[in-house]
Amino acid sequence: MLNTVAYGLTIGGILYIISIGLSLTFGTMRIVNFAHGLIYTIGAYLLLTSLSFFAESFIVGTVFAILAAIPISYIIERFIIRKLYGVSIDYAIIATYAVVLIGVDLIKWIWGASPKPLSDPIGIDVPLFSITIPMYRLLIIGLSIVIFLAVSIFFKKTMVGKIVVAALEDKDAVRSLGINVDKYFGYVFTMGSCLAALGGVLYAPITSVHPYMGMMVLLVSFAVVLVGGLGNLKGTFASAFILGLVIAITGRFWGPAAETMVFVIMGIVLIFKPIEV
Amino acid sequence: MSKIKKDVKDVIVIAASFLAVTPIFGINRTTDFMIFCIFVLGFNLLYGYMGRLSFGHMLYLGLGAYTVTLFSEHVSKNPFFALLAGVIVGALIGVAIGPIIVRTTGACFALINLAFNQVGHFLALVAFSKWTGGEDGMSAYFTKMGFIDFGKKPVIFGFCMLSLLFTYFILKKLLSSPYGLLVKAIKENEVRVRFLGYNTFRYKWITFIISTTISAFAGALSILNYGYVTPSFIDPSRAVEVIFATLIGGAGSLYGALIGGVAYMAISNYLASYIPRWEMLLGFALLIIVFRFRRGMWGYLNDKFGRRVETL
Repeated sequence: MLNTVAYGLTIGGILYIISIGLSLTFGTMRIVNFAHGLIYTIGAYLLLTSLSFFAESFIVGTVFAILAAIPISYIIERFIIRKLYGVSIDYAIIATYAVVLIGVDLIKWIWGASPKPLSDPIGIDVPLFSITIPMYRLLIIGLSIVIFLAVSIFFKKTMVGKIVVAALEDKDAVRSLGINVDKYFGYVFTMGSCLAALGGVLYAPITSVHPYMGMMVLLVSFAVVLVGGLGNLKGTFASAFILGLVIAITGRFWGPAAETMVFVIMGIVLIFKPIEV
Repeated sequence: MSKIKKDVKDVIVIAASFLAVTPIFGINRTTDFMIFCIFVLGFNLLYGYMGRLSFGHMLYLGLGAYTVTLFSEHVSKNPFFALLAGVIVGALIGVAIGPIIVRTTGACFALINLAFNQVGHFLALVAFSKWTGGEDGMSAYFTKMGFIDFGKKPVIFGFCMLSLLFTYFILKKLLSSPYGLLVKAIKENEVRVRFLGYNTFRYKWITFIISTTISAFAGALSILNYGYVTPSFIDPSRAVEVIFATLIGGAGSLYGALIGGVAYMAISNYLASYIPRWEMLLGFALLIIVFRFRRGMWGYLNDKFGRRVETL
């Protein structure tokens, strides 16, 4: 059982890292950025490429994947999302989904459609209480907590973070102070995309890498965002770990139902806590 | 009198168009096209008229398909009863999950539908695989009802044509009624409709139920046509097909839905076998529609030829 809990916390950590970007775009622009899942997938694939071409180092691959997410997310934000929001939310959803279709097909073209396994980059097991846990999973849990603290400080202490938090509350008021809100949203969007790529990198050794891996994760992180509250970063943190545990515990008893259980919980939460968006 | 004349004209135009394309596509495919058009009509009611984009409409199509198959397997092999069961279950799912879904708009609406679809797909593929046949699916058999034998292709073709016309007219009557006006008003500005004293929740719920019912009807019909159900009927990743069809034809118009349905089916049936990177093409086409061609084919024709087309 302790093993299951550890696995759940690992998944929760990764879910949190992915959900930050989604929560911010969703909280600010009310757009579900389907391309977020695409960047997550691309992150995992870039790690694969980096491991086989440049160096055998997992850290180099991670940095490479995160850096590569910057130009990709910039293009998506600048040429697709920024042009469409304000026009109609539906079109933005469809357009980002179109980007996913193009991206997934590109991935299949470049890397092939078959799933690729990836081994644990550290490979050391740590004894903890009565069980042994892979070092790698402990690192993920630690990393997600570090990121949570870093993001909290970013939104409390830095100017960019403060502007975005204010804009989450009242976008028009911030704009009337002469601040170009879209520019700051652009920064945060890029940051969220980099974290999505990091999430893909971290998740890759736990499961296999395949072109459609982003779709399911996107749906689950969407559930995380809804359960945690739109644009509520602390709530996102808590709900990511809770839903991670749900996935792990359900998966222990009945494997295929793991992700479905998340949606059941999301449905229940929505019944009791209606959101008017 | 002129109203009846217009209706007759509609019947002639729709029936003649489908009969005209039958020699090109063959009777099997044209039947398929008509069933898909019914599905697009159901989706279009929700998206085009009420402005709620669902990313999980395959759930309702698949539910109709599975209901008909299971009904023919366990209850009765009468095709009409099976069809009725499919439609009723389609309505019931709308009644059951509608209150949760219709409270949301925009992205939430899209993704909650998708989440429910994911659950449905899981149930059909894994949880109930003992009854649904899981990955392999299962076949459905129907008995002959007098002179109506759904094993014969012209019979099912005619029946689907009648179903399409029936759906078309139900929607046309609904949309030209005060209810239809209210639905369109909800798309424009829901808050103001509420100010006028209408309970918008109830209207959204009813519209959702109608949409799921029509979608389930389409799913049920396709089982009469194929006689075989697989999890691909309920696969959430196919949701984009109906969205694309609605957009290409022109959302918010009944003729647009029909044109879009036929156009999408023609493209996916023929182009997809020649072009290896079919998904990418679909993606670029969606982007072009969203950025340059927002009103779809029917909207374009309307803009270009003005009233001449509108009076059709």
